[in-house]
Amino acid sequence: MKRHIAAGIALGAAAILAVSACSSSKKSNGGTGGATGGGGGGAAVTLNFVGADYGTGPANSSQKYWEGIASDFHANNPNITVKVQTINWNDFDNRIKTMVQNKQYPDVMEGDYFPDYAQAGLLYAAKDVTSPGTFSNLLPVFAKLNTYNGIQYGMPFTTSARTLFYSKKIFQAAGISAAPKTWADVQADAAKIKAQGKIGFGMPLGSEEAQAESLLWFLGNDGGYQDSSGNTWTINSSQNVEALQFMSGMVKAGDTEPNPGTKNRTDLWKQFAQGQIGMINGSPALIPIIQDGKVLQTADWTSVPIPGKNGPLDKTLGVCDNVSVFKTDPKKQVAITKFLNFFYQDRYQTQFDREYDLLPATTSAINALSSDPTFGPFLSALPKSVQYPNQPVWSTVKTQIQQQIGLAMTQDPKKILDQIQQTAEKGS
Amino acid sequence: MADVVTGRAGATTAETGPVHHRRQPRGRRALRAMSPLLWVGPAIALIGVVVLWPVYVMFKTAFQHFTPNGFYLGPAGWKNFKNLFNEPDLNSVLERTGVWVVVVVGVTMALSLGLAELFNVRFPGRRVARWALIAPWAASVLMTAFIFRWALDPNYGVINIFLHDIGVLKEFGSNQADWLGRPDSAFAWMMVVAIFVSLPFSTYALLAGLQTIPHELYEAARVDGASKWRTYRSITLPLLRPAFLVALLINVINVFNSFPIIWGMTRGGPGYETATTTVFMFQLKQAFIGESAAMSVINFGLVIVVVLVFLKVTRWRDQVT
Repeated sequence: MKRHIAAGIALGAAAILAVSACSSSKKSNGGTGGATGGGGGGAAVTLNFVGADYGTGPANSSQKYWEGIASDFHANNPNITVKVQTINWNDFDNRIKTMVQNKQYPDVMEGDYFPDYAQAGLLYAAKDVTSPGTFSNLLPVFAKLNTYNGIQYGMPFTTSARTLFYSKKIFQAAGISAAPKTWADVQADAAKIKAQGKIGFGMPLGSEEAQAESLLWFLGNDGGYQDSSGNTWTINSSQNVEALQFMSGMVKAGDTEPNPGTKNRTDLWKQFAQGQIGMINGSPALIPIIQDGKVLQTADWTSVPIPGKNGPLDKTLGVCDNVSVFKTDPKKQVAITKFLNFFYQDRYQTQFDREYDLLPATTSAINALSSDPTFGPFLSALPKSVQYPNQPVWSTVKTQIQQQIGLAMTQDPKKILDQIQQTAEKGS
Repeated sequence: MADVVTGRAGATTAETGPVHHRRQPRGRRALRAMSPLLWVGPAIALIGVVVLWPVYVMFKTAFQHFTPNGFYLGPAGWKNFKNLFNEPDLNSVLERTGVWVVVVVGVTMALSLGLAELFNVRFPGRRVARWALIAPWAASVLMTAFIFRWALDPNYGVINIFLHDIGVLKEFGSNQADWLGRPDSAFAWMMVVAIFVSLPFSTYALLAGLQTIPHELYEAARVDGASKWRTYRSITLPLLRPAFLVALLINVINVFNSFPIIWGMTRGGPGYETATTTVFMFQLKQAFIGESAAMSVINFGLVIVVVLVFLKVTRWRDQVT
């Protein structure tokens, strides 16, 4: 009897140790198969495409969008087949990292862009897989973001810009007549909304996308992550510290949701759509959430330029998702170029934007959409937009900001920014 | 420890083997001597692949330099460990881990003693009650963590609705309702969840222990006129000791390594303020792979040290084997 217990516990302990050991080693599941097919001219070629899924369910899954393109493309180029795989955004980074760590590269990928893949020599330069016409049509404002050592690797595919959304319904109830233009306006309006029992300003500083929310406030005080040259880190600048101090003042006064350092964008956007939050920074992606919520009618909300310390910002954060092409098989380069030229046509760009309320990434598609009432205000902000840094170390810095910056609401902002600045300067 | 078990099994088979087949030719005898390997082999291979290999990779990674996306940049020497020990939050994370293990295991064991006693008594519906006790154990821990996270939602959480109804909570969506937003209350709630999911195993281990205690002893105690408390102290507790120690040790290791509860409820945030070393290791992994591996090595060492100290202090060999 006792011996059995001993054996049992030994086995149990070993199993637990094994689990603890496993959890510390890298994950190695998932991933698609390696390259298939080959041959450039007449022989059949199969391209593996991996994309992020922007849909909210099976009905509007991006799998459908890309399969549509793939079959159109196959009809025009019968010897090229595109195999489409889409991955939910929540898992996207992890799955791609796993695939790349296991050297199971897709041929073409759409979603996040990883500067260190270019650094490691895994990617084709953008020029080598697009026609000159397609290449020059890509929005130039995003070129720098996707450039490593002077060569552009990533190609913007879909973009988005930030504005301040506010609920006219809540503003009216609180007796506010004009849109906020300055930080002081935001604070005063938030206090009035709070008095009505709602959340004044939604401030998502949780790990999901804290780097975006804080940058929008930094920009309002002429701060940012880097100076205008894009080579010097200015994370712990006095402007940024001041911005965080102002934000923490709002938090302490109860003008935001409680404990913003633990709240994520997705949840707060939903709360805005439910009519519980007065103001929040958003992108066009918030629009379908508002429509799904069925609480706010189109006339109940609007979006305006983001207020800065002394007046509305003339620039905003522009983000883009990118196409990167892996150097899998030199024989596939011609087929890949054909595929990229094909899916960068205006009709596919605008189809994507209407489906997901995102913005185009090519000049001609912007022109095609410029008269659209929903997209108009965002499109005019897009060419002036500010981007995230493009150095490979940014992914480390971004993670640190996501994990740490929420603490600046309760602790000394300078200390926290100093730490992040240090990480950035150490480099990767 | 698994090596000890398989090693012992292997040795006994090897000893008995040649006794029966003494007269066989040399080649076949050697082959015969190898035959135990056939039976032990899969277990050894499993341990090699599932335990030893990951441990080796973990140590190797701790001395290497990687980009956040997993590209190898070269050897790092002791730099990962240096960076880890320079993390300003490391001390508070270690302290929190200590509190986490002591409180969760302590409360779990205390409650389990009572629960086991209760389930050992005959009462109508005991079978159903015993089944119900398994539920928190059978359910996925991550799922349990999510359910509690939703139940604690500052606006709609069922726990908050209850607290509001009984007048404890004054306003939904307030700082008070935001249990998981404040590091202190979040940590306390996560300990509650950890205790909740640890209870079934400990209770069943103790219940099994209780059932091995012979009835005669209790009868003798009654005949001698011992009080209930005296019987419990002098008969139940000493005889329960092996089962208690087994449950305690497994709980210590389990709770120390516990990841899904904290990850599912707060992701260790804000910052690292609700992270234990296991969660801290995972948070580091997102940006600093080498440093995260260094943290794993420390974790691994801590578990081994804790277990060895535990075995020594409880004189394990005399008590349980």
